[in-house]
Amino acid sequence: MAGYTLKRILLLFPTLFGVVTVTFFLMYVIPGDPALALAGERYDQQTLDNIRKELGLDQPVIVQYFKYLGRLARFDLGRSFTTGRAVSDSIRERFPKTVILALSAMLLAVTGGVLAGILGAWGRFPWLGRPLMGLSLVGVSIPVFWLGLILIYIFSIKLSLLPPSGYGGGSVRYLILPAVTLSFASMATIARVTRSGFLEAGNEDFVRTARAKGLGESAIVGKHLFRNALIPVVTIVGTDFGSYLSGAVLTESIFGWPGLGRYVVQAVLKRDFPVIQGSVLFMAVIFVLVNLVVDISYGFIDPRVRLKEKD
Amino acid sequence: MKKNLLTFLLMVMLAPACSDNTQVPVIRLALQTEPTTLDPALALDYSSGMITSMIHSNLLRFDEDGKIVPSLAKDWSITEDGLLYTFRLSRNRFSNGRLLNSRDIIFSFRRLLDPETASPRWWVLGALRGAEEYHRGGSFDKNSLYAPDDSTVVIRLEYPAAHFLSLLSMPSAGIVCEEEVISAGGDYGRRPCGSGPWKLSEWNEGEGLLLVQNTSSSDCNPEIEGISIRIIPESMTRIAEFETGNLDILEVPRAELDIWRSAGVTLLEKEELSVVYIGLNNDKYPFSDIRVRKALNMAIDVDMIIAKVLFGAGQRSCGPVPPGLSQGAKGEDLYRYDPEKARELLADAGLADGFTMEIWQRENPESGRILESVQGYLSKVGISVRIITREWGALKEAVDKGTPDAFYLDWFADYPDPENFLTPLFHSSNRGGGGNRSGYSSPGVDSLLEAAALSGDDRLRKEIYSEAERMIYEDAPWIFLWFPVRYEVVSYRLDGYRIPLIFNSRQFIDTRFR
Repeated sequence: MAGYTLKRILLLFPTLFGVVTVTFFLMYVIPGDPALALAGERYDQQTLDNIRKELGLDQPVIVQYFKYLGRLARFDLGRSFTTGRAVSDSIRERFPKTVILALSAMLLAVTGGVLAGILGAWGRFPWLGRPLMGLSLVGVSIPVFWLGLILIYIFSIKLSLLPPSGYGGGSVRYLILPAVTLSFASMATIARVTRSGFLEAGNEDFVRTARAKGLGESAIVGKHLFRNALIPVVTIVGTDFGSYLSGAVLTESIFGWPGLGRYVVQAVLKRDFPVIQGSVLFMAVIFVLVNLVVDISYGFIDPRVRLKEKD
Repeated sequence: MKKNLLTFLLMVMLAPACSDNTQVPVIRLALQTEPTTLDPALALDYSSGMITSMIHSNLLRFDEDGKIVPSLAKDWSITEDGLLYTFRLSRNRFSNGRLLNSRDIIFSFRRLLDPETASPRWWVLGALRGAEEYHRGGSFDKNSLYAPDDSTVVIRLEYPAAHFLSLLSMPSAGIVCEEEVISAGGDYGRRPCGSGPWKLSEWNEGEGLLLVQNTSSSDCNPEIEGISIRIIPESMTRIAEFETGNLDILEVPRAELDIWRSAGVTLLEKEELSVVYIGLNNDKYPFSDIRVRKALNMAIDVDMIIAKVLFGAGQRSCGPVPPGLSQGAKGEDLYRYDPEKARELLADAGLADGFTMEIWQRENPESGRILESVQGYLSKVGISVRIITREWGALKEAVDKGTPDAFYLDWFADYPDPENFLTPLFHSSNRGGGGNRSGYSSPGVDSLLEAAALSGDDRLRKEIYSEAERMIYEDAPWIFLWFPVRYEVVSYRLDGYRIPLIFNSRQFIDTRFR
């Protein structure tokens, strides 16, 4: 297991180097000139030249690339073209807020989704299955944007229970609506996957054996079914959580949440190269780390994965 | 214990959500986009310009009606030839407490022109003697800007510029505090220090800013402790915040106008100093033919689009200069909706069978609906329109290079002067990135615009601009659309607030709480 983990960690480096290189050169391929975005609506050639010189864009691309690598080696992500602020400062400020939102959304999604999945699959409440799965179908297909606005309308305007938007210095009241909005689609997917996992596993031989040897229903669900149904759930949690951590642009925009997603989208629109490159790299690191954790956690949940590695 | 916890949680959740700071004497605003910087030399967009000018003061400023009034300068004189300006400063302090003196003016102006500052707005002081050379990397002409004593500043121009006082009132010409610029390094845009009525107290990225009274400023508003500006990108959310009582001023989206008109709140209305148009590529056939350009103007029922798509929030434009700057009698309406006449003109131009054209736009749901209407009208005279959508950066690059046949754009005034519309948008020296994106070129208009800039006589100057505007309108370099109207709702708490004519004079100096 340790060897496997180490191998996986070492593999991260070429992946990240690839990300750095591809995002760097991609910036120069797509149309749209950062100097032009900074020059405003009324400019002359001299202004463009001065801006390019100030930003180092007047040098050959390959020189810029090596300078960029040099900065990265010193853990310097550079300064935003548009705001002049250090990219690392912005990420440091925004990332914790993204994490809070992502974690609470994931927590909601997993508890709500797994619970709904089990209830929907469990023979004890047969009448619950259809409505729950119907609801989850709605959940999967509902647009985040619409859901967010509807929640604001109900809970802020009509019921005056929760603030419509903002970060509120970390107050829980400000977190509830965005977290629910963000969690909804994942929750619905998790519910569906959990349910089908349960139903499938219910027909497996080992469950029949467990029943035959007289194990109680709760032990069967808790010990045998649950573990088996959890594998695909972990996969979903992994990919969704990874993308939540790189910022949930729509949810952030509706609720004015100061997370990473909006930061990056603004940067893309303004061709703010250092911000795009820095945040893409940062997100790539987060994403591969989350994936790593997911892969390793398979080993704990499913012993077969561990055994295969030994072969 | 468990029960107590539950009760507590419920209480936290159910506590009224909307009474957060209604009692605090702070004006609460929301902006769609976050300011990029509060450095006067680098501020470019609406949010940055507006807040920058709340924090910094200038020699002069615009009042709410766009009139130039004294600010740091208590009086000034201009020599007969219009080349030498002398300003006498009143006593003012920066928000760090230091007395502002004439050397700060010189530092700030020189910094704006310095090529190393790479200011996109250096042209604000481009009329100073030797400024262009300095901006190109040459040496600074010390005789163009000097301080005979602590409270006097002398500025010498290369050529007379009648609108120079307006330029000095723009956010870009705001006065910064030298030692703070130096100590902040590259971060001055986030740690500004000016002598305006407000100073920056907090800036939480992505969330909002808090400005507080600058008690050292002579424009300080003692009745209002501060201004909180939240960044809320989504307009429906901003509306929800206003409805729940968390905002004091809200710009109303046009689609919501009817609801707010009947909502019984104070709805303010102001014609913006901006113009919306479809620029035609005057260098490209068939748009190089004036008959085609006129036909395009006549083929579209602009009034109908204003009524149906803009919900009435605009005024059809007969020329590029907004009525807020108009000099009395407007030119006559040359391009009333007349598809029959449009077809005739097209036939005269040898295009009786019509043609295909592209109109480029930046992606935005409203402009999409507008261009679809335009597309419908033009198809009735045989012109088939393809709408090309690009995001802003790519659109601007293409338009500045002269690629598209036509493009849907708007132009916002930086200062309330017809010059700000006519010279950048139509003088042939500004073709492309300078503002004249349709590539219009008329020696007659050029010489009128030059003559107006040199004229010291305000009335004569305005007459020349009217004449230039009339000629441009007749040449139809654009499809003339409309001047937008801005609507804001204001909470019952505020008194004395008016929408200013120009966005950068929104300083809340005369606003009070009831």
